[in-house]
Amino acid sequence: MEKGGATKIDLNRDGVENLSGRVHLLPCCIKHDGPTEVSNYFKPKPSGVVGEDGLQLQQSHFRGRLLEGTSLQLPNNYSGFVLGKKNSSSKSVDSSDSWETLARFKHITYWNHDCVPSQNDDFFRAFHWITVAEALHNPVTPEELASFTL
Amino acid sequence: MGSEATLPEWASEPCIMGIDEAGRGPVLGPMVYACLYCPLSYKKTLATLSFADSKTLKEEKREELFEALKANDSIGWAVDVIDPKELSAKMLKKNKINLNEISHDSAMGLVDRVLKIGVLLTEVYIDTVGDPGKYEAKMSKNFPSIKFVVAKKADSLYPVVSGASIAAKVTRDRAVREWVLDETADNIQRNFGSGYPGDPATKSWLENHKHSIFGFPTLVRFSWGTCSTYFKSGAEVLWESDLDEDGNGNNSNGKRQLKLNNMGFTSSKKRSEEIESSGKGRSRFFQARKLEHLTHF
Repeated sequence: MEKGGATKIDLNRDGVENLSGRVHLLPCCIKHDGPTEVSNYFKPKPSGVVGEDGLQLQQSHFRGRLLEGTSLQLPNNYSGFVLGKKNSSSKSVDSSDSWETLARFKHITYWNHDCVPSQNDDFFRAFHWITVAEALHNPVTPEELASFTL
Repeated sequence: MGSEATLPEWASEPCIMGIDEAGRGPVLGPMVYACLYCPLSYKKTLATLSFADSKTLKEEKREELFEALKANDSIGWAVDVIDPKELSAKMLKKNKINLNEISHDSAMGLVDRVLKIGVLLTEVYIDTVGDPGKYEAKMSKNFPSIKFVVAKKADSLYPVVSGASIAAKVTRDRAVREWVLDETADNIQRNFGSGYPGDPATKSWLENHKHSIFGFPTLVRFSWGTCSTYFKSGAEVLWESDLDEDGNGNNSNGKRQLKLNNMGFTSSKKRSEEIESSGKGRSRFFQARKLEHLTHF
């Protein structure tokens, strides 16, 4: 295996677990990689308040801190994927840089410490890129081009 | 909780009230503020009811006295049960609220509640938290029509405060005994002990219920210094909100409060990079949205 070699990602939408509603983005870094009892200890509840732009707000606690969150649907035609390295027990040379889909999700719950989520948060604003990317990459038809001539 | 449902006929007479707390020191369970009020004309009789500082009474005696004061038509009462989650959250906010402020707010909330139901309070006696002079001034400023007496050991000096201390202590003990845990893990025991950090039963409960990721069940006050020893073996957690704009840790914490994340971190530069993308070196559009170009993973 050489560095910089092609990375293979196998995005599989069918037959993998759907984690919608169970993916949380916390405002902290937990130095742990692996399973833990999330559903037994992390208990989000609707906060009973509707935020700006109609965001449905939730509250939860982690390590004693109050988290304020909201669930966000990923844009149409986009999906979230949980990837894992493909088991490289096989002989194939490039298998160590090969990824497979372990689960997918259409929703993510995003959490702030101490402040209510808002459309102005970086995380929300990151999705602006999708609109920009579409504008940049959509092919322009001859008709459209004609209508723009001065 | 309290006797507010029915306004006593004596409410329009000048009334006295005592305020006291239970469960300020414990590392787990709620902190309870209680008040007890009665007409000024009942003050002498109240002194004969053998209320004493709740700490000097046996549990059964406290329960008995609490039932007696609830049944007494000349006495009104109310409690404010402050959830340990609320205590932890407030003490671990970006702009931390210390326990004294939480206590003062609770006492003011009780005065406000009793005034709102229509009781004519003229004198309020409070067992102090922090400096009595400052506390008294704060209360007087908020409620100019009331004469406040804020004192050390008020719970043994004034029967009306002793009564409040009984209501607080009994409510706190019952709340801990009947506590409904948020967590659904099936290996959680209920032998919490008194909740005081020095109590061997509480110590062993903490030892047996620490969790490497979540720390503890939310019954525990995470902001208590006692917790730090139990977190050392758990996963380290670094919070975005503990970093200032330059990515440096912001260590302006009170003495009793614990930084849950100050164990074993490296340089502060590295910490901010670990936590979030910076979009460094890219167009401002990406920088402002913390979007980074990922070339390999």
